[in-house]
Amino acid sequence: MTRSPHITRRALVGLGAAGTLGVLTACGRDESGGGPAEPAEPIAEGPATGSLTVWAMGAEGEKLPELLASFEEANPDVSIEVTPVPWDSAHDKFTSAIAAGTAPDVAQVGSTWMAEFVSLDALEPTPESIATDDYFAGALEGVTVEDTVYGVPWYVETRVVYYRTDLAEQAGITEPPTDWDGLVALAQAYQEQAGATWGISLQPGGQGSWQTVLPLMWSNGGQVVDEAGAQFTFESAQNEEALAYYQSYFTDGIANPAPAEGVTEQDFVSGDVPMFISGPWMMSAVEAVGGEGFADKYGVFVMPAAETSSSFLGGANLGVFQGTQNRDAAWKLVQHLSMPEVQVEWFGLSTDLPSLQQAWEDESVSSNEKFEVFRTQLDTALAPPVVATWEQVASKFDAQIEEVCKNDLAPAEALATTQSEAQGIGTGV
Amino acid sequence: MIEKRRPVLTYVVLSIFLLLVITPFLWMILGSIKTQGELLRVPPTWWPEEPTLDNFRRLFERPFARYFTNSTVVAVVVTAGNLLMSSMFGYALAHLRFPGKRILFATVLACLMIPGLVTFIPQYVLVVNMGLANTIPALILPFLVQPFSVFLMRQFFLGIPRELQEAGRLDGVGEIAIFFRIYMPLAVPAFATLGILTFLGSWNNFLWPLVVSSSESTYTLPVALALISTGQNETDYGLLLAGATLIVAPILVVFLFFQRHFIQGIAATGIK
Repeated sequence: MTRSPHITRRALVGLGAAGTLGVLTACGRDESGGGPAEPAEPIAEGPATGSLTVWAMGAEGEKLPELLASFEEANPDVSIEVTPVPWDSAHDKFTSAIAAGTAPDVAQVGSTWMAEFVSLDALEPTPESIATDDYFAGALEGVTVEDTVYGVPWYVETRVVYYRTDLAEQAGITEPPTDWDGLVALAQAYQEQAGATWGISLQPGGQGSWQTVLPLMWSNGGQVVDEAGAQFTFESAQNEEALAYYQSYFTDGIANPAPAEGVTEQDFVSGDVPMFISGPWMMSAVEAVGGEGFADKYGVFVMPAAETSSSFLGGANLGVFQGTQNRDAAWKLVQHLSMPEVQVEWFGLSTDLPSLQQAWEDESVSSNEKFEVFRTQLDTALAPPVVATWEQVASKFDAQIEEVCKNDLAPAEALATTQSEAQGIGTGV
Repeated sequence: MIEKRRPVLTYVVLSIFLLLVITPFLWMILGSIKTQGELLRVPPTWWPEEPTLDNFRRLFERPFARYFTNSTVVAVVVTAGNLLMSSMFGYALAHLRFPGKRILFATVLACLMIPGLVTFIPQYVLVVNMGLANTIPALILPFLVQPFSVFLMRQFFLGIPRELQEAGRLDGVGEIAIFFRIYMPLAVPAFATLGILTFLGSWNNFLWPLVVSSSESTYTLPVALALISTGQNETDYGLLLAGATLIVAPILVVFLFFQRHFIQGIAATGIK
């Protein structure tokens, strides 16, 4: 599709997607999106030329130019302009730009936006010359919409359990738990024998709480979307059991049902709440609060398993936008950023975890033993459902989780409500 | 005795309100010299234990002057445009006779009633088609004459007697001079109100500059601050508060400068 100076149908569809702006509440559905996508054209040989605009968010956007120096050296005829976009508002900026046909050539794409952007016809399918077999399976699934791969995973993160090793020893536990009951036991031991106010910090609903609840459902063999991504499947015995397990932490007085915001690090360091579930960025956060030597007082372990150990896989992807004037150079840039050595370099610049398994073999990544736990978790971590409407559905789900944790709503009832609300929203297919 | 007690009560009530209003403000300023660790501490501290200028230092490591210039240019031009053109428009609607005046005024009112977000994307597409995407004019043009300003000025001019216009005409003053030499000097209090409101609106505008600007060279302060202080998973509160403090400072200066007129203006336009 070429860029048209007038409002095209795509632009009108984009208007619908800008519903987050409160513009319109139409659904961003595209009738042409139903069939299989056409295979991507190959990329031309030779060095990249011409100019490229690249959008990247926050710290990534600010550090990216440094990483691109080697690409520009190898391709002297290419000029790249990197626009850093604030994380908070990036989604608004992208949907507006897609609507107006001013999307960049290459951009960092949030992992929960993939299906939505694909349904807007905004992203190009990935050419076959870019190998995808070395990516973590969960990450690759996150860029796959209806069996077609769009873009590549750029960096990943996953959630593991942080715990205070010194206090666990005090409570008589030396081995990290591996199953659901073990996690409860450790949390209770903290409360009973190590003077902790609460055994674990969990989010009692509210924005993003699904990121902890959904992995528990996966762990129990549950799913919230069917294989084809066409139907929601919130109501199942496995999901109900997982939500009831989550609820039990609050009803049994193990987790605080009304925690203050932003005190996780403090409570962890003071020992008031010696356990929480979060991503790799919390390592530097707790060590900053805990001061020197604190790194030896805590450890991480993979999510406890019911059937499997499952976690949330986040991070960001790289996408090439439809209508790019410089397609070959755009894909060459993506290809460059997908080389293991470049990913290792990026890890050094940004501490973002590499999405390529091969990059983890480098010593700078594998030397930290806590990263090993993340590495293990990444093998089984799953990306959020690749459904265009997922963000909307997730916010409904969050609200129900809150009812379950704070107001004793029966898990089955919460799931039934979520299911009917999700069906009302639809999957956008 | 009542006369004596009343001022005390008034001061007590006013002080309570002042405290409510000023606390978040002081929190912002004090927070800007705290470390991230101290900002997140529970229970929170009021006075910084280890005051540091580190947040400001990190702020100035960025091209802050660039953002500052962008914000200033945009806000000043937008404000000047509204003062001049909206007042001309408002005057015409209030005191001149011409065909279609009522329809024109109804259109202004209609524009005032449509929420800005509804016209957001069409306006953006328009700007892009004009070839203005990612330029400073794109940040200025759509706001140069705002329906609210036109409405405010019309209402104000309605309160100034039409007899002045007639007197001017009898004395042979031209129509343009009547506006500039008779009505405009009388509108100074309204200008102060309009000026500060427009400046504030432009200075704090976030979504439009965010969407229209595609390079750091055209970012305004609020966009730049959002960029540097919030990450994917965490927020740098110290940097955010330091930036907010710096962003508020010029507004305070503008307000102090126009304070007297501003209060008069509120009183004058409020009565109408």
